[in-house]
Amino acid sequence: MFFHIVLERNMQLHPRYFGRNLRDNLVSKLMKDVEGTCSGKHGFVVAITGIENVGKGLIRDGTGFVTFPVKYQCVVFRPFKGEILEAVVTMVNKMGFFAEAGPVQIFVSNHLIPDDMEFQSGDMPNYTTSDGSVKIQKDSEVRLKIIGTRVDATEIFCIGTIKDDFLGVINDPTTT
Amino acid sequence: MEKNGKGVSMPKSSLKSTPSKDDSSQKSKEGRKVQFNNGGSPEERFDYSKSNGKSSSSADKGGNGSTANGKASKSKEKEPLELRLDQDRLKNAKCLMDSEAAEILQGIQDQMTLLSQDATIKLPVSFHKGLSYAQANARYTNTHSVRRVLDTLKKHGVVDGEISVIANACPETAEEVFALVPSLKSKKSILKEPLEVALMVIKPLRKVDSTSV
Repeated sequence: MFFHIVLERNMQLHPRYFGRNLRDNLVSKLMKDVEGTCSGKHGFVVAITGIENVGKGLIRDGTGFVTFPVKYQCVVFRPFKGEILEAVVTMVNKMGFFAEAGPVQIFVSNHLIPDDMEFQSGDMPNYTTSDGSVKIQKDSEVRLKIIGTRVDATEIFCIGTIKDDFLGVINDPTTT
Repeated sequence: MEKNGKGVSMPKSSLKSTPSKDDSSQKSKEGRKVQFNNGGSPEERFDYSKSNGKSSSSADKGGNGSTANGKASKSKEKEPLELRLDQDRLKNAKCLMDSEAAEILQGIQDQMTLLSQDATIKLPVSFHKGLSYAQANARYTNTHSVRRVLDTLKKHGVVDGEISVIANACPETAEEVFALVPSLKSKKSILKEPLEVALMVIKPLRKVDSTSV
């Protein structure tokens, strides 16, 4: 789910950036440092929408670097347990399938796929119902529920299920 | 056989017949009592008795020796997984619907094309993924109206996160909402009508999807 949140960060700036464009340099350094990163607490920082406040700089002892506390608003994407998401399938194998929702990867194990769907190997591996009416393959859109999340240094990985009511395939890429 | 105040009334023969390989037979007997009090199915009882020989005394405390048992964990999973937003972490965060996020991110992208003089400022990969995801799931023609309609549910106790899940899922009926957001089930009687009304109001605001069946 997307959130709009205010975060705070201490930015260190080298003296070469001081001068008229100090604030612009600070903001561009903030964008380079923060946009695209991921943390367990806030999720993916997708974009910075504005700077709320730049505090007074503090010169660090021993070096000429100055630390500025910066408060900024940003859009973050963080999945939560129990959340319902629509994701696009990226890979299917006999253990389950991988799907992507924004910057987040989700794995749905075959134990959490309805029992009436069987794995079919081949050029386009897929999960199909016995009557062939519903198919999950690469590029299918599925609605799933997040049941667990794990955060690495640079990405969030989730486990999902489609075994509950109102979950499963939304859009089959073959039927257009 | 001790009988505690909970009033277990099991015929002795069934207790004797259940094998107990553990040395701590007293413990397993106590465990059996606790489990039977739960009134589980006969199948579950036999499974409990096998597993409880190995389990610790925590089963006695909990009154539910289900930690070691796959079947029992499945029945626990049937209690639906509720959306748990860590309210402490995200106190100042505003939950965005995918449509709102799409608008904001599109605005930022438009600004970036204007400010593209600085070649070192590039939008990260996660931005593009986030933008395309938000745009794909932005289902409404008028985001502000949808937000206003769904905010009326707040007075019935629906929180921000639940409103966002409802908006993103585009449910057809109130039943679908209760299935997808189990935390609202406790307020089903209060919420059913306002939900039906809200869903009816936002239905015409959905973007017509040519690929939908």
